[in-house]
Formats: sequence, C-alpha cells, structure tokens
Amino acid sequence: MNLRCALLAIGLVVCASAGGVPADAQPPRGGWSSAALYNAGNAYVRAGKPGLAVLNYERARLLAPYDPDVEANLNLVRRSLALPTEPGNRLTGAVGGVSPTMATWIGVAGWALVAAALLAGRWSAVHRWLRRTAVIAGAALMGFTAASGVALWPRLHEAIVIANAAPVRVSPAPLGDALFTLKEAEAVTTAGEHEGFVLVRSAAGRTGWVWHTDLVSVVPRS
Amino acid sequence: MKTRYVDRGRLLATFGACLAAVSAIAAAPVFNETLAPSQISIGESAELRISSSGADRLPPKLPVVPGLEFRVVGQLQGVELIHGATLATITTVIRVTPQIAGTFVIPEISPTAQPLVLRVNPANFGGSSIMRHGVGAEPPAGDIRMMEDDSAFLRILADRREVYVGEAVPIAIELGVRAGAVSSLNGLPTLAGNDFTLNDMSRQPDRKEAVVNTEPFLLLTWHTAIAPVKPGEFPLIVEVPLTIQMSTRPRREALLEDQLGDPFMQRRFGAKVRKDIKAVSPPLDLTVEALPLEGRPPEFSGAVGSFQVTSDISSATAAAGDPLTLKMHVTGSGNFDRVDSAMLAHVEHWKSYPPTSSFKSSDALGFKGEKTFEQPVIASTAGAQVLPALTFAYFDPATRRYETVRTSPLSVVISASAADAAPNASAAAAIAPTGLRPDHGTPGVFASSLVPPYLRPTFLAIESLLTAVLAGAWFRQRAAGHPDRGALLHGRGLSKSIRLALTRMDEAARTGDGAQFFALARRALQETLAVRWQTSAELITSSEVDVRLDRDDDGLQIRRLFARADEVAYAGESIRSEELTHWTQFVRRQALRELS
Repeated sequence: MNLRCALLAIGLVVCASAGGVPADAQPPRGGWSSAALYNAGNAYVRAGKPGLAVLNYERARLLAPYDPDVEANLNLVRRSLALPTEPGNRLTGAVGGVSPTMATWIGVAGWALVAAALLAGRWSAVHRWLRRTAVIAGAALMGFTAASGVALWPRLHEAIVIANAAPVRVSPAPLGDALFTLKEAEAVTTAGEHEGFVLVRSAAGRTGWVWHTDLVSVVPRS
Repeated sequence: MKTRYVDRGRLLATFGACLAAVSAIAAAPVFNETLAPSQISIGESAELRISSSGADRLPPKLPVVPGLEFRVVGQLQGVELIHGATLATITTVIRVTPQIAGTFVIPEISPTAQPLVLRVNPANFGGSSIMRHGVGAEPPAGDIRMMEDDSAFLRILADRREVYVGEAVPIAIELGVRAGAVSSLNGLPTLAGNDFTLNDMSRQPDRKEAVVNTEPFLLLTWHTAIAPVKPGEFPLIVEVPLTIQMSTRPRREALLEDQLGDPFMQRRFGAKVRKDIKAVSPPLDLTVEALPLEGRPPEFSGAVGSFQVTSDISSATAAAGDPLTLKMHVTGSGNFDRVDSAMLAHVEHWKSYPPTSSFKSSDALGFKGEKTFEQPVIASTAGAQVLPALTFAYFDPATRRYETVRTSPLSVVISASAADAAPNASAAAAIAPTGLRPDHGTPGVFASSLVPPYLRPTFLAIESLLTAVLAGAWFRQRAAGHPDRGALLHGRGLSKSIRLALTRMDEAARTGDGAQFFALARRALQETLAVRWQTSAELITSSEVDVRLDRDDDGLQIRRLFARADEVAYAGESIRSEELTHWTQFVRRQALRELS
C-alpha cells in the first residue's frame, strides 16, 4: 500500500515536471524559444537598440545556458558598450552547461532515487550498501538541481536598462537631481517597486530608484 | 450744582429710551430658525424649528424649495424672558425630507434671519462623491420589475436579442435603488450561469437620479459587453449583492409613525434592520447562433464585428539586412480580443519575425478602437521589393457572412550596401555588428515560462506534497514493523551491551585471562538470553538456565559455559587457547542470533 503510494507520488512528480504550469506572465504566442530570443537579440543589435538586445540575449541564456552563440553575442554587445561582462564563478561553471529543464529532470530523478531507496529499505533488509549508495546518489542529483537554482536565482531578479540613460534617484519621486545614471543595456538587480519606480542595485553596488519604463525585467512579472 | 441737574436729566432720558426699546422689542414679532442636522443622507429627515415671539406672533409660512418636502409635525408654546419682558413664544416643528441629493438653501423666514443650508448626501454606496444632481424628468424606459420589498430593481438593457458565438455584445446593467431603502452595494454585477462571459466591470458606474413610480430612485448603470460561449437559446441574468434596510414594525404602525412621529425616533428605537440580499434581474432571453462553417476563410481567427485594415512600413528605403517594421492597423468595432493575424510568413527575399500586437480602445467598453500589429521584416536581397497585401477575415453579424479585407501592397527599395550601418543612434554605431554570430535557423524547443520548472510554485508545491507523503508512508511502515516501540528501544540497548561484552571478551581471550574471559562470556550470554526471554540480565542464573533451556546442543553448551565460569573463577586454572576460541565462537554465534 505504502509502496504503491510512493510509486504514484513519483509518477505525479514526473508528470508535473513535464507539463509544469507557468508561474509568470503570459509568454509570446507559442511560448518562449531560446532561438527566437537569440535572433531577436541580433535584430535589436542591428537596429541599434543594445538594451533590448541584451534583454533578449539574457532571456535566451535562461533557456539555453549552454548555447555559445548567445554568450558570445551578449559579451560582444557588452564589450562594445564598455559594460562589464558577467564574471563566471565555480558554481555557475559547474551547472551552467545544463538547461533548467534538464536540471529539473535531474532533480526529479534524484528525488525518485532517494524515495525508492528509502521505501526499499522498509520493504527488505538486504543490499543495504546498495540502498545507501542510491540515497547518496539521489541526494547528489537533487543537490545539483539546488545548485542550478542558486546559480540562476540572481539572474531571475535582474532587469536590463533599455533607456538611453536612466537617471537613478534617491527616492521614488521625480524630484531633484539624479544620484547617478545607468547606461543602456546595463544589468541591475531589482529589490522593490513603489508607485511606478523600481528600487535597483547596480553592478557597482549603488542603489536607487528608477522609473519603471527605463528598464525591463529579464523574467516578466505576472 | 448745575452739572448735577444735567447728569440727572441724562440718566432719566437714558432710562426712558431703554423702556421704549424694550416695549418695541416686546411688541415686534421675533423669528428664530434652527435646522438640525445640517447634513443628512437620502432617506433621512432633518428638523426645522421656527420660533416666533412677540405680540403679533403668526404661524410661519412654509418655504418652498424644489427637491425638499416640508411638513409641519407639531407646535410648541412657551414663555421667554427677554430683557426683563415676558414674551409668549410659539415654535413650529417642521420635518424636512429631501427627495434628491444635493445642497439646498432654505430661504429665511424673516428679514433678520439667515438662510439655512441643508446638505443631502446620496445613499451610502462606498462613499463615491461623483454625483449628478437633478431629478430625471422621465422614468427609465422599459419594463421594471421591482424586488419584493420595493427597495430596488435590476435590469439588463441590450439592443439585440440574436447574437453569434464569440461576438462582443454591448449591454447596460441598470440598478435602481429607492432612496433610503438600500444602504450599500456589496459587489459588482455578476452573471448567473456559464453561457456568457462578461467583460471587465471595474469601471465606475454612471449615476443619476430618476423618479420611478412617483418615488425618487438612484440609478447606477454599468456599460459593459458580454460574449456568448456556445450556440443555443439562453436567458441572460445578472445578480448584484446589496444591503437593504427593512422595517421591523407592521406597515400600519410605520405609516402612523411616519405621519405623526418624530423622524429621528425610528433610528433611535431601531425600527429598521439591515439585511444582505442579492438583486436578480429578470431574464433577458438571447438567441445565440453558431458561426457558419460555409464560406469561412482560412485566415479567420474568430473576429466578429465590422473592421477595416490598413498597412504601412517604417521606411520605403533601406539597406539589405536592415530591419523594417511592417504595421497593420485593424480599426472598427467588435471583439478585438479575437482579432489576430499572422501577417507575413515565408515571403521570398524577406525574412519575417512573429508579429506583436497592441490595442487602443476608443470607447470605455473596448468595443471600438484600433489594434495594431507590428512585424519586424528584413530584406535579404537588394532591389525594388514588394511586400504583398495583408489580409484579414472577420464575420459581419449585420450581413451574416464572412468578409475578407486586404491592404495595399507596399513597395520598398532595398540598397545593396550599408549592411553594417545601423539606421540611427550613436549607440548603434558603438556596437559593431561585425563579429556578431549569425541567427539560428530553427526555433528550437518552446518553453511556457522563463522561470526554471523547478522554481515554479506549482512544481514546488507538488514536490513538497509528495515528499510529505513519502515521509508519512516511511514512518508509518516503520511503526508498523515494530509495534512495541519500548521493546524495540530496550532491545537496542541490550544489543549494544552485548557488543561491549563481546569486545571485552575478545580482549580477555587475547591476553589469556581465563577468569575474566569466562565472566564476560557468561555476561554476554546473560544479556543475550535476557533479550530472548524479555527479562533482566541479572535474573539469568544457572538455575534459571537449567529450567528454561532445552536439552539440545545449544542448551547443554550454555549450561556448560555457566559451570566453567564458576569453576575458573574459583579454581583459577589456566585455560588453553583452543578452548577460549571455541567458547568465543559459541558466544558470538548465540549473540548474533539475537542481533539478527
């Protein structure tokens, strides 16, 4: 009975991960495609709109982090604008070659492995070492998925400046002089919103309020 | 002396003047007007008191103010002392009942009085201050079916009764509430049933006052649109939640109180209670027809209405490789949410991208307006190029047939050079397209969201739920395998002590300490048998072993070990290693039998 429940649970996880419900805004007709986003980024580069180009490249990179073309063109645009390219770290390097969908499947497989090993332990006492190995392997797979999430988390809260020069103010009101100005295509981290202004943190660590039309979130808000 | 006479004369003259003044005051009628409260709501009344005193006191003439009803409800007589003179006073109590909301000025009764101002608020409908004052000269058109308590009515106004599936049909939902009978509106109108969908109702309703059946009503009108979802004949019914004020007294008593009583007494003694109800409109029967299959164009996307299309291009000249924006404007009236177009696809010498759309409404309903489709296109070869006409198909309910409208073809001159030149902007110049990796040919896999699947709330919720189910099942099976939890824990403790005894026994065997070895071996067996018999190890004695154990080989061996332990302890003989090995293996075998 319990084993049957567990197998059903594993099946439900697999089904849910295969047909997950979107949690954010409506995607374009037909959904998001990394290739279409990449091509749109190229088109915006040719049209002289680097902000929108970087935005589309970043979105393409979320779907296909292993695509070298996306990475190359993104870095090309950033270098041409004298913007800092994203420094890679060990965690990003370890999980960067796997798409989020694949990471999801890896996590599901790890979960299923741990679940099966635990249930098998209650079912039979033989092959203890095999079960322990399976639990460790499953935990490692789930850890990989968690690491992928940790690596992607900052990019999910990033926004790209699309205005030519976005003034950053000390308060969410169009009064007084700007604290500093963000360049077009610069990536910032968003931390909150208030009456049309978005609280951002620049790559240099400076914070302030930017008018919401001057930037676009990499992941559209619902 | 002379001065003293003059002062006396002045004093007498002053006294005489005061007497004359008091007499004059006593003789002339004096009016005093009070109005309380000065601000009320529709359905309430204010009290106007007009006091007149003096010799020629007269009953006041009732003022005439359009929108206010004055009714004398009583007179009070009294005596006042003014400047030492006794004056009879008569006070007339007048009930002022507003018929409409607004600010009213009650003219002064006497020239010495001040005009009074009465502010009348509409019934409480969420505190909105947007009101248009004035009484509607005509009652609302159409049949009105009042609710049972005559407090309100709700109806649907529509121009057409025969509609098509998916068509946007403008309607007006009119809620009439009798002044003072409805205290609040508790929600927006909703449709009863699933045969129609209702457009956004978040806009504020139009408000106006009107007289219905000789009584003032506040009319709230929502203008919106519905869309039928399936063919057939369906009643359209709207519901609105309201809070009404109901009288708890018999109607006859209420009428008497209304004629004679103080209007404030009703509220004071709780003559009315509030009740939440749902106003339901009479059904409006609509016939919904399916869109015909015959003559349906392949590009038809479900648009129903009347539309026109035009198109334009961002520039008539460009270089090969430059992006241009092709726009198609769809204007007219209908269900714009179903207006869709793929625009251009697979045009020779052109590369096209999926279009985006935006809608600009020209009315409050979103029924009329303009939808603009924008499609990036890039010419791949130089020369005079022509972008073909764009087509758009819709169903016209007026003509009852499908219509296909077309734009004019657009001519664009494409030059061969300037592939690397950006069209404008210094930023474009700053980016060197050279070195840009080429576009991808295939669209690849489509994803419904940019958020990784494992971070979506649905996935996390299911994963957490399944983990909880798994943990519950695991613990349940674990508990089922060991019904006696206390015995389980006790057994575990003994197993540990057996292991300890075995370890120390091995050490004694290595050092050749026979007495210690046998003492530990007996202890290990005592612990093992204690687990088997569910008793304490101290109670396992030689006599207990004799009684409980069978006469089989194991039983005889255990008895023998207990006896050898006593012998060695008292005799202190040396033990051969072979015997130690034998007993070590025997005790370990017995212990492992229990542990397994």
